[in-house]
Amino acid sequence: MSSESSKKRKPKVIRSDGAPAEGKRNRSDTEQEGKYYSEEAEVDLRDPGRDYELYKYTCQELQRLMAEIQDLKSRGGKDAAVEIEDRRIQSCVHFMTLKKLNRLAHIRLKKGRDQTHEAKQKVDAYHLQLQNLLYEVMHLQKEITKCLEFKSKHEEIDLVSLEEFYKEAPPDISKAEVTMGDPHQQTLARLDWELEQRKRLAEKYRECLSNKEKILKEIEVKKEYLSSLQPRLNSIMQASLPVQEYLFMPFDQAHKQYETARHLPPPLYVLFVQTTAYGQACAHMKSSQPPRQDKTLSVAIEGSVDEAKALFKPPEDSQDDESDSDAEEEQTTKRRRPTLGVQLDDKRKEMLKRHPLSVMLDLKCKDDSVLHLTFYYLMNLNIMTVKAKVTTATELITPISAGDLLSPDSVLSCLYPGDHGKKTPNPANQYQFDKVGILTLRDYVLDLGHPYLWVQKLGGLHFPKEQPQHTVIADHSLSASHMETTMKLLKTRVQSRLALHKQFASLEHGIVPVTSDCQYLFPAKVVSRLVKWVTIAHEDYTELHFTKDIVEAGLAGDTNLYYMALVERGTAKLQAAVVLNPGYSSIPPIFQLCLNWKGEKTNNNDDNIRAMESEVNVCYKELCGPQPSHQLLTNQLQRLCVLLDVYLETESHDDSVEGPKEFPQEKMCLRLFRGPSRMKPFKYNHPQGFFSHR
Amino acid sequence: MEVFQALQRLHMIIFSQNVSPCGKFLAAGNNYGQIAIFSLSAALSSEAKEESKKPMVTFQAHDGPVYSMVSTDRHLLSAGDGEVKAWLWAEILKKGCKELWRRQPPYRTSLEVPEINALLLVPKENSLILAGGDCQLHTMDLETGTFTRALWGHTDYIHCLALRERSPEVLSGGEDGAVRLWDLRTAKEVQTIEVYKHEECSRPHNGRWIGCLATDSDWMVCGGGPALTLWHLRSSTPTTIFPMRAPQKHVTFYQDLILSAGQGRCVNQWQLSGELKAQVPGSSPGLLSLSLNQQPAAPECKVGSARGSGDPGRPGCVDRSVTTLLPLGPDSRRQQLQGGCLYQSGLPSFLPVLLTSSNTPTSISGV
Repeated sequence: MSSESSKKRKPKVIRSDGAPAEGKRNRSDTEQEGKYYSEEAEVDLRDPGRDYELYKYTCQELQRLMAEIQDLKSRGGKDAAVEIEDRRIQSCVHFMTLKKLNRLAHIRLKKGRDQTHEAKQKVDAYHLQLQNLLYEVMHLQKEITKCLEFKSKHEEIDLVSLEEFYKEAPPDISKAEVTMGDPHQQTLARLDWELEQRKRLAEKYRECLSNKEKILKEIEVKKEYLSSLQPRLNSIMQASLPVQEYLFMPFDQAHKQYETARHLPPPLYVLFVQTTAYGQACAHMKSSQPPRQDKTLSVAIEGSVDEAKALFKPPEDSQDDESDSDAEEEQTTKRRRPTLGVQLDDKRKEMLKRHPLSVMLDLKCKDDSVLHLTFYYLMNLNIMTVKAKVTTATELITPISAGDLLSPDSVLSCLYPGDHGKKTPNPANQYQFDKVGILTLRDYVLDLGHPYLWVQKLGGLHFPKEQPQHTVIADHSLSASHMETTMKLLKTRVQSRLALHKQFASLEHGIVPVTSDCQYLFPAKVVSRLVKWVTIAHEDYTELHFTKDIVEAGLAGDTNLYYMALVERGTAKLQAAVVLNPGYSSIPPIFQLCLNWKGEKTNNNDDNIRAMESEVNVCYKELCGPQPSHQLLTNQLQRLCVLLDVYLETESHDDSVEGPKEFPQEKMCLRLFRGPSRMKPFKYNHPQGFFSHR
Repeated sequence: MEVFQALQRLHMIIFSQNVSPCGKFLAAGNNYGQIAIFSLSAALSSEAKEESKKPMVTFQAHDGPVYSMVSTDRHLLSAGDGEVKAWLWAEILKKGCKELWRRQPPYRTSLEVPEINALLLVPKENSLILAGGDCQLHTMDLETGTFTRALWGHTDYIHCLALRERSPEVLSGGEDGAVRLWDLRTAKEVQTIEVYKHEECSRPHNGRWIGCLATDSDWMVCGGGPALTLWHLRSSTPTTIFPMRAPQKHVTFYQDLILSAGQGRCVNQWQLSGELKAQVPGSSPGLLSLSLNQQPAAPECKVGSARGSGDPGRPGCVDRSVTTLLPLGPDSRRQQLQGGCLYQSGLPSFLPVLLTSSNTPTSISGV
């Protein structure tokens, strides 16, 4: 009720209640009055909470009054009207209060809004400021990183190391006391030093240039002098030629040869150099005189130098030459391309082409016979071949059986064991052959010469055994290491072939040419005679019935030479099939025997025939005679005659047959038989002249 | 010098052979004076390889050919070029081959040293009889190594010896065509049979020589130039003449059979009646010796017939099984042993014989 009382104190209470229009007017009145009452200031003074309490109270009062009015009306009592009036007045008071409260609430709302708006504007301003600041920060940070990432040019300069710098730089640049602690200053100082040094070097460079200039000028002058010397020297050489000729000093000739040698392909060049060297060394060893024309080994180069120049490309040759020849070649190949066969044939020819230059080697033996060797180089196969020819001092009558002995095809066969010279030694060639359809080099060997292994070695070419290798380079040391042995072997081969040649000539006439220094190997009287000596083919040899053992033992290869000898005494005929190894006389000839006398006797049915075979085959060493034992074959044949004599003479006489023995015993024998196999005394004891058992 | 070695092999001859006391090894001597030892047990076993058929040891024993070999309990005695040498079996098998001793019989001086063709052990008096080129039989006491007596009588060199088991008597056959019977107690010649004088067995075109000899109680078989003949000793009469044309180089009694070998590729087996029971072909063109392996200790190597060269036997040429191979050669040629024929004769096992031979160019390898 206190609030009610306070409300009553309000000026509003004074205003009279009226129609709503009145109310409006009233309000504008109150607004005018507000200036006086300053309701707005009042709002500040009042507590909203209490206003709310008041509002609630007023509403309750109103409800109660309405309920009472309704109650009174429904009762309809007489005094009700008064009471209702009373209550209506009270209700009006309460409405007034409500109105007041409403106004206050509006003012409060408006005030609140203003305040909120004001606060919001403040916040907006602050936010803007914040944005600006952030942006500024970002910008600054970018600047900082840019600065940090800045690269100075001096970092690319390669500076001398620190120690070196302090050691070498003068103190006014290095300023050790300042720069030691301050890396920046230090770098600056080092840069200074670098600049200083570079300046000095540039100076030096300029000096050197001028120096070079000077030297060039000097060289020019000297060159002029030298070129002026050449004609003078030439004239001197010209003048000295007669003197050279007179003194047998072929310096000039040798010089020319060396000039030509420059155009040789590398393997031939190696061969040329090494053989020349070897020849000179030999000549020096034999006599202290300077090398002369009559040396045992002479080397020459044959073939057209111009062709070689065109083909082989010496470094000084101009590029034009080569392209020209290429073009020509192309033209020619174009012209000849009509059929595939011709083309293939052409390719083959091209592949087997040899270098236009070849090296001629003449090897002179003691008896003035000469072995001419011509070495060729097959450019596309990268192998060397050789053709051989033997000439003798005196004209030889060639016996029929000696046909193969000196033939160029076989004279050098198997100089080293197994070196037949029929296969290409370069494994890479097989692939090349496959391309152009060459089966083996064998078919071309007659034309091209033999690619013996030792020839490759003399030329310094060494081929690996297994896989092909395309870069085989001519090697001097390889050539040198094989030179001496090969030359010796060549000489021995020629001599042994010539010796055989001579022996064959007599053998064909039934004479066994025992030399006087081998005479002691045989008794003075030998009755058995050689009547036939012919050459036979390898196939014929293998088909003989008494040569089976040798064939099975693999001793009858097709590189050997085969002969048939017939030794006779009376009715007894001894056939001997001979295998002559190309390596004669270091490898002995092998004899297989078959005796026709009282039935056929071979090593299969007669122990003594077997013993005779082993006498000539196994005990050949005592038949070698004086070194180099070229007489071995002759001695073996003579020995065979002696053995036949012994065999026939010691054959036990069959008492039941009438008449004298066909072969009376003339040889002196200690005993006729010995041992379980009843061997005959085949061993001849020289000075005493009797026969004994081995 | 490959060619030379091949030739040497091709011209090799095996003259003698001997089985070790244990029966597991075979020694063979060739014309180059080498002795090679083969392991029979390895070569004859079922899983024998080519390698095991090659010599396990080879050593140079003499300068000349090794003509004869015998074995005592511990020693191998070999002879050939005038000397007899002794080797310890145990050492040989350990591959250390040093001669134990060597002896030379007292020869009359001669231009050449006579060879020794035959060795014979006389177990009863522990002595060794040597015979050969000087036409005498020398007796050597094995205890002391001294030569106790020499028996003269042959006019040409002696090929072979044989011992009569029961009485101490020795038979010798020689180039002069005579078989002489010697009494060892009295050192006298008891009996002489000049085989070539009997028309039945004389073959003048082959010569007189007696190349082989074997004896069994009163019986003696000999051959060579004359035909192979069975003799009754007490009556000195030829009882059986065996129809074999080629000269025989070795003969031996085996149970109720006679085995012989010589020129030709076969080992012949004869009935005493003169009937050819079987021929066992080999590869060598001629055989010089046969050897019996009678050691029960090594049943798996009871058989052997070693052959020489030529074609390595043709199993097809006899319709009997080829049972064993004993290859002596380094070139792995095989020497075939055939025992199939004896299966048929009812023997319980392989022929307990080591037939070996000669003339085999390939039988012993070079070292």
